[in-house]
Amino acid sequence: MDTIMRAMELTALLILAYFAWLAVALRKRQRTVQGPWLFLLRAFFPNWHFFHGLGPAPRLWVRAQSQPGQWSNWQAVYPRLPRQASHLLHNPSVNLALSHQNLVEHLATDIHDLAENADIRDCVSYQLVTRLASDAVQGGSWADTPMLQRPDGFTPQAFQFEIRLLHLGQAGEAQLLLSPVIPLRP
Amino acid sequence: MNLDLPLAIRAFEILLGWSLLLQSIEYLRLLKLDRVGDWRIQRAEVPTTWVRHMLDLLYRPMPYSGMLWLRGALALALMMGHAGPGSAVLLFLMALLILLRWRGAFNGGSDFMTLVGLTGLLLAHVLSLFTDTANAWHVALWYVAVQSLSSYFVSGWVKLMRPEWRSGRALTVFLDNAVYGPLPANSLYRQPQLAMLCSWGFIVWEGLFPLALLDARLAALFCTVAAVFHFLVFWFFGLNRFFWAWLSTFPAILYCASA
Repeated sequence: MDTIMRAMELTALLILAYFAWLAVALRKRQRTVQGPWLFLLRAFFPNWHFFHGLGPAPRLWVRAQSQPGQWSNWQAVYPRLPRQASHLLHNPSVNLALSHQNLVEHLATDIHDLAENADIRDCVSYQLVTRLASDAVQGGSWADTPMLQRPDGFTPQAFQFEIRLLHLGQAGEAQLLLSPVIPLRP
Repeated sequence: MNLDLPLAIRAFEILLGWSLLLQSIEYLRLLKLDRVGDWRIQRAEVPTTWVRHMLDLLYRPMPYSGMLWLRGALALALMMGHAGPGSAVLLFLMALLILLRWRGAFNGGSDFMTLVGLTGLLLAHVLSLFTDTANAWHVALWYVAVQSLSSYFVSGWVKLMRPEWRSGRALTVFLDNAVYGPLPANSLYRQPQLAMLCSWGFIVWEGLFPLALLDARLAALFCTVAAVFHFLVFWFFGLNRFFWAWLSTFPAILYCASA
């Protein structure tokens, strides 16, 4: 009986020590370890920092060209979808839209971490965001919800996208990247 | 309110299986919906040549959708209590393959917590080969419970350290930028005092979650509040997978609080 009690006390102490260590570790500046495999397998090292603070939030903006010199207005590609209670069980379109926004955030991180003399166009995130922007200007949707709130109503020949940094809760934004004009294949 | 081991195992298997089943059905739907992801581009991120070639084969349309159907079938088997060590290994490997297909994560935290559940399942079955099943499950459920409690604790603690959360401003801003947002102009959450009260409610509740281990009744209370919290996260942010992924860890928390 004594042994069981001692084991239980030891378990409780270990748990207490673990959470105390966690609290102390969180107060210290975290060192970022990077690498291609670490990026792909980051699910094994969750940091559980959900919605932890208001920082710069990258947004994707696109515009389309119908003929040389004739451009549509810039429009944001940001997920806004109608809520349905059934989404609790099946929500692929919202989850896909959120993964697209994550992609934009990854591109912003890649731009920030880009080595000198490196070309952002070689990054996978840039190439995927190009596909996202291309889909958006060509009337793409997240299930039934168009990616652009005001579809342009013409057949685009080319497009351009921009990554802007928005400071959540504050006015103003900064341009992080302006893509070249990218022709669309007929 | 005590949860004994056999009941905790069944509840864990049913909830984890249900979460995996819903995810598998969504992934199957995404085969048609997603026009952005392209493995021919993404493969460049895999640094090891032989792994890249192996994944090229696995991510062709037929094998990939076959894997998703198999995952769904194994999730059903898990819910019915028919998943053995082979199923646990397969489910874990498939989770890994799906993560790689989505550049490390498709749905962020819910993928991470699903992996925690699958690691727990794998631990239970692998350890059962070396020790008795009850001990193996005891370790596995403790692993899942500690990870789940850590997620709440860390999430609460990092909010406590941020002035925008302590003032309640972050809550309104995040809700405004949510997928089902923005908040209506007359929303209650725009009232600074209410936003601050809600923020402090989340911070204190999340930060104190490890106390759930002290008593099974306390654990039941914390888990009930957590279920409501995750429902609200779904309601405002559309994160349905978070709801099911975290719910599947509650039997482990209740069991550990009862032990």
